[in-house]
Amino acid sequence: MIQAEKLTRRFGERTAVDGLSFQAGEGEILGLLGPNGAGKTTTIRMLAGIIAPTSGAATVAGVDPAREPERVHEHVGLLTESPGFYERFSAARNLAYFAGFYPDLDIRRAVGEALDAIGLADRADDKVATFSRGMKQRLALARTLLHRPQVLFLDEPTAGLDPEAASSLRALIDRLRGEGRTILLSTHNLAEAEALCYRIAVLRTRLIALDRADSLRDRQFAPTVRVQIGNLTEAMIAATLAEPYVTEASRSVGDPNGLVVRLTDVDRDRPALVARLVALGAELLEVREDERSLEDVYLSLVREEER
Amino acid sequence: MRRRIANVLRMEWAGMARTPNSLLYLVVIPILLIGQAVFLSWVIPQFVNPELVGMEPPAGSGLTAVDMFRLLILAQFPFFALLIPAMIANVNATQSIVEEKTTRTLEPLLATPVRTWELLVGKILAGAVPALVAAWLSSGVFVLLVWLLGWGHLLAYVVNATALVSLVLLMPAVTVLSFVLGVIGSSRARDAKDAQTWALFVALPIFALVAVQVIGFVRLTPLSTVVLSAGLLLIDAVLVRGAVRLFGRESIVIRWR
Repeated sequence: MIQAEKLTRRFGERTAVDGLSFQAGEGEILGLLGPNGAGKTTTIRMLAGIIAPTSGAATVAGVDPAREPERVHEHVGLLTESPGFYERFSAARNLAYFAGFYPDLDIRRAVGEALDAIGLADRADDKVATFSRGMKQRLALARTLLHRPQVLFLDEPTAGLDPEAASSLRALIDRLRGEGRTILLSTHNLAEAEALCYRIAVLRTRLIALDRADSLRDRQFAPTVRVQIGNLTEAMIAATLAEPYVTEASRSVGDPNGLVVRLTDVDRDRPALVARLVALGAELLEVREDERSLEDVYLSLVREEER
Repeated sequence: MRRRIANVLRMEWAGMARTPNSLLYLVVIPILLIGQAVFLSWVIPQFVNPELVGMEPPAGSGLTAVDMFRLLILAQFPFFALLIPAMIANVNATQSIVEEKTTRTLEPLLATPVRTWELLVGKILAGAVPALVAAWLSSGVFVLLVWLLGWGHLLAYVVNATALVSLVLLMPAVTVLSFVLGVIGSSRARDAKDAQTWALFVALPIFALVAVQVIGFVRLTPLSTVVLSAGLLLIDAVLVRGAVRLFGRESIVIRWR
């Protein structure tokens, strides 16, 4: 549905996006993560046919956005970072205006369905100026749905929203994915990315990593188990380290009872480790997997890139 | 194409109808300009002795020295009237573009299948047509007022071929020029006030045109008015091309602030 091949965009001397290649399939939410200025918005703009790439190519819903921007707009919906409405007009009038640019669209029906979809049908005739930030963002999402696009580009959809509004918008995005739409989601909210996205692309001008959150985590951090042992000794640590499935074992910093063990596969090797420690006479107080958040993964990737 | 341009037109006009400033300009500017022309034609001869100014009526014309004095002011109205579309079109342009910028509606608009030139044409028509209609209506009201004030015998000297060419050619050329300058100014401006300084580029030459005529330095004939209009239309064409480039998707998203 979305295919980018060595997409590059330069603004004068500055390169905003450098040789970006990826694909996103039907019904997939692909997350775009990256620090400010990493090229997320530029990438979305290139794919949505708003700006042209300096080099490289892309197809979105089978259309080249650089060659046929107007045609690509018939197949994609773009949620910009700021909702952008004519505040003196009602929600319905705003949507009707945008709907008026799409060919062969029953405007009244499209507006009604879009407002229904985002739960604002009862506020259709209210001026947008009276809407909260969350409602405007939902209305902006409704605007992207007017022409029932196959592909959605969502640029920071929950930025600046309160937790309740953000959660309701996330549920809506998940529902849209369930309807088979392909969604490219740019976000700074890593929990949101992990909850919604099938795969995550980490961008810093160029693509640093692209994979599922779990795979990125496994790739970036060795599977680790933290064990609390009442009578931890150096001999126990040495014996643990001698096991073939253990890659590293050391005392936890600042915790005399803590043992940190890196395994080749946590799920497979944890029972063997526990059995071995018991055999060594260890008084086991707690055994837990060291959970790494997506934020840890993201920061590690970005720092690695900085080096 | 026509559907999309009509869509822009409808929204622009609906927006104008909800903007007190736009409506005020449509009414106040014509009233001020008609009022000052008629008032000055009436009041100046009350205080100045036209015979002392030395304006001799042409022999056999049946005009008095006061009529001559009055004509000097009234005959400038067709050129003063150029200020009506110039100012209204500029205000409409700046309000239309600056509102899109402040409400951040341009990028979502550019993500629809509308072509940027359709958007620009829609905006030019929406801003220029009311300005031009207001100017033409004002000219009609001016003629009616002159007649009602009992100066009907002067109309033949005011509503002449030059004035008609000015109405039909010069006025639309000035309207488009003013609107396009408004668009160009707005693309760089942060607010409407900032953008409207561009109106000076249109207003000053109009004042100059009136001034050189009043002092007798230049007397516009139908032919010279046609030439002037053609020159302006040429400048319009160049500026519209520039505005279309400035109004490109990429330009709006990247360069407009």
